[in-house]
Amino acid sequence: MVNENLVKDVVKEPYKYGFVTDIETEKIAKGLNEDIIRLISQKKEEPKYLLDFRLKAFKKWQKMEEPDWAGLGYKKIDYQDIIYYSAPKQKKKISSLEEVDPKLLETFDKLGIPLTEQKKLTNVAVDAVFDSVSIATTFREELAIHGVIFCSISEAVKNHSDLIEKYLGTVVPASDNYFAALNSAVFSDGSFVYIPKGVTCPMDLSSYFRINSGDSGQFERTLIIAEESSSVSYLEGCTAPMFDTNTLHAAVVELIALDDASIKYSTVQNWYAGDEEGVGGIFNFVTKRGKCLGKRSKISWSQVETGSAITWKYPSCLLLGEESVGEFYSVALTNNLQQADTGTKMIHIGPKTKSTIVSKGISAGNSINSYRGLVKMGTKAAGSRNYSQCDSMLIGDQASANTFPYIKSQQPNSEIEHEASTCRISEDQLFYLQSRGIEFEEAVSMMVSGFCRDVFNQLPMEFAAEADKLLALKLEGSVG
Amino acid sequence: MEIIEKIKTFKSIDVQTEIQKICLHKLKLGPLPNPKSELWRLSNKSKFLNFLDYSVNKKDSKFDIQYPKKSQSTIRLIIGENCQIKFIEKNYSIQQLSEDELHKYLKEQISSFNQNENWSDLFNLSLSCKNNILGLKINGSKIPPIEIFSHALSNSLNAKTLVIFLEKNCDVELLQINLGKENSSLSQSTFFCLKENSSLNHGVVSFGENKSNLLNSLNVIQQKNSEYNLGSLHFKFNYARFEISIKQSAGNAKTNIKGMQITKKDQQISTYTKIDFNGPNGFLDQINKSLADDKSHAIFEGSIIVPKIAQRTDASQLSRNLLLSNLAKIDTKPQLEIIADDVKCKHGATISQLNEEELFYMRTRGITLTEASKLQLSSYFQEIISFIPVSKDRWDLLDKLLNEN
Repeated sequence: MVNENLVKDVVKEPYKYGFVTDIETEKIAKGLNEDIIRLISQKKEEPKYLLDFRLKAFKKWQKMEEPDWAGLGYKKIDYQDIIYYSAPKQKKKISSLEEVDPKLLETFDKLGIPLTEQKKLTNVAVDAVFDSVSIATTFREELAIHGVIFCSISEAVKNHSDLIEKYLGTVVPASDNYFAALNSAVFSDGSFVYIPKGVTCPMDLSSYFRINSGDSGQFERTLIIAEESSSVSYLEGCTAPMFDTNTLHAAVVELIALDDASIKYSTVQNWYAGDEEGVGGIFNFVTKRGKCLGKRSKISWSQVETGSAITWKYPSCLLLGEESVGEFYSVALTNNLQQADTGTKMIHIGPKTKSTIVSKGISAGNSINSYRGLVKMGTKAAGSRNYSQCDSMLIGDQASANTFPYIKSQQPNSEIEHEASTCRISEDQLFYLQSRGIEFEEAVSMMVSGFCRDVFNQLPMEFAAEADKLLALKLEGSVG
Repeated sequence: MEIIEKIKTFKSIDVQTEIQKICLHKLKLGPLPNPKSELWRLSNKSKFLNFLDYSVNKKDSKFDIQYPKKSQSTIRLIIGENCQIKFIEKNYSIQQLSEDELHKYLKEQISSFNQNENWSDLFNLSLSCKNNILGLKINGSKIPPIEIFSHALSNSLNAKTLVIFLEKNCDVELLQINLGKENSSLSQSTFFCLKENSSLNHGVVSFGENKSNLLNSLNVIQQKNSEYNLGSLHFKFNYARFEISIKQSAGNAKTNIKGMQITKKDQQISTYTKIDFNGPNGFLDQINKSLADDKSHAIFEGSIIVPKIAQRTDASQLSRNLLLSNLAKIDTKPQLEIIADDVKCKHGATISQLNEEELFYMRTRGITLTEASKLQLSSYFQEIISFIPVSKDRWDLLDKLLNEN
């Protein structure tokens, strides 16, 4: 019999990104009303169409009710008790990275994110977002040679207004859901990517989100447009300090892929998850959706979800173009009192579209980990296929793993396959590994990483290694 | 909707028993199920209202359908027609439950009912009068197969209830047949209590005629070491719901379910199953098949609940669906809710059409397309039909299904 405590010990690694950066910030007053929205828009010097977009979304949000169908148990959020805009104070507009507050650079250094371009160790361009604003974007010139636009969304509003006006809100409309409407009303910053026709982005693009203030929510918005025959791989990472209060993170991500374009979107989400008693932690309510508009276009979501007190996230694909492809690879790990309700939606609209779903859930401690997904074949999706696989691993007898697949078909010439299974760390396998001289903890993390292999294989190299390490750390102290 | 109006006012229904009163009282708080709840959200509203649109049949006149010839060894019972039942033989006994026993059991069940989840049962029990409740206690061994009929007459709503206690070490084969006449609604609720070491091979065959509706609910409680096998088939209803709730009250029990629903024209048939493991070492093997043609809609939702106490549960659930027309719809949602860690649980779901390669092969051998599809369908149906007890020869189910195509 495996020692219960030993396994519990494996999951107990403290959260190492929980520090707070002491920096002077500019915050607006708490609360949410039309004036606040006007103020945010004014601070960001936005054009009128964007202010109208925000106000319209706010009106819709006011009429909506907070969804409760996921059955997530959390204290009601007081939306008037949140600061909707918080930015590090900077005296003047910066023109190069050297002018960025060294404290900020230090913060990102601590997080292992190279912002100084001199450190060209990795070939990854980074857009770093600190609370409500983007701090810096690296490798800009090099990207510009290829015509790739990679900047914060506020900059894009100023410099590429036509693209923003054309595409913003076309994938996730403001009225889509409660949190998307909230985000549309108050979004602060985020990343914007535009890959021109025929260009394969020369390097991976990455955004790094950091929440620093305890009382401000983070509402970033990301928009990625891949023109015909282009391709891009985009990475996203997130961390936050430890606070006793719950911080709201309600982001919206929109992807658009035109003919033959491909977008790969990878996330390693490691927001602060709260302590062992479930105090504090981020509420992660995110709407991510990609639209495969063009023929043979492809959108691939891969995610490693380890943080947040509550995760409510369903990266989806609207497969409109003929022969377009949607993919979803996910590892979700919950421990202590974390709750994750995550999955995907694959909506097959065009003919001969294909989708693959691979979801691995690991639940430890007293956590709840649910897969909730929708696969829908519309009447015109002849010749389409879907394959889904959802596996859950339970660690300890207090954790819960749920699977809720919604499958709908209106097209006889299509095929849908779904399978799900539940298992636990096998004592035989543990015993075998231990008898070969492998330490208990290492054996557990080897088995977990084996369980997640199908998903890790889909992550970009740097992320796969990080994800593997992250899981091992998170699991420290939980297996028994 | 006349019936709902009556439930709301409550007094105009001829209340006869305490059970009816309790159920009416519970229903009065919310006369209709919540259309947003998972169990009812896909239900066709106008069809459901049509179900309620008949008045309750008070005088239960004889049903004029020709039942297949009864074999000598079969015990045949018709709910509403058999008043005194007493078979006492050397090896076994089948007796009616006393009023007290029936009352006590139903009251206990109702106390745990949830207005939304058990709406069909509350509705049934509030309408089904004394004559339409059949309560049996079965004991002994070598019991001959039993057939129990429920039927609905044209232009009326009929509510029938069946309660069966299977005593310890008892082994029974039972086929339940629900028949609906043209323009009729049948509400059938069945309650089984399987005591320790008992085993029940249960078949449910429901079929209607033009515009017949069915609300069929089945509640099973399995005690330790009991075995429950269910083979079910629902077809030819304008609107039908089959709600199954099985509880392994102390684990260590076995459940096998093979069900099928076939929808044509603009019919809607749905199956909801909820399997609750309330103890360790439970076993479940479930397969549900749907076939949807024309403009019809077939729905399956199955949930498996494994709480912490249910260690070493072994449960599998498979939903297989055939979608044969561009205008038909299939919805399926097999779901797992697991807390115990030492369990083996899996589920699967597929939606497709008839295998083209197989069809092609048969055609190259000179079999016509119609014949080839029939052959494929018959193998699809056969897996379920062969699992339905008592029916095999006399009910010609396969023939009924294939010739309907």
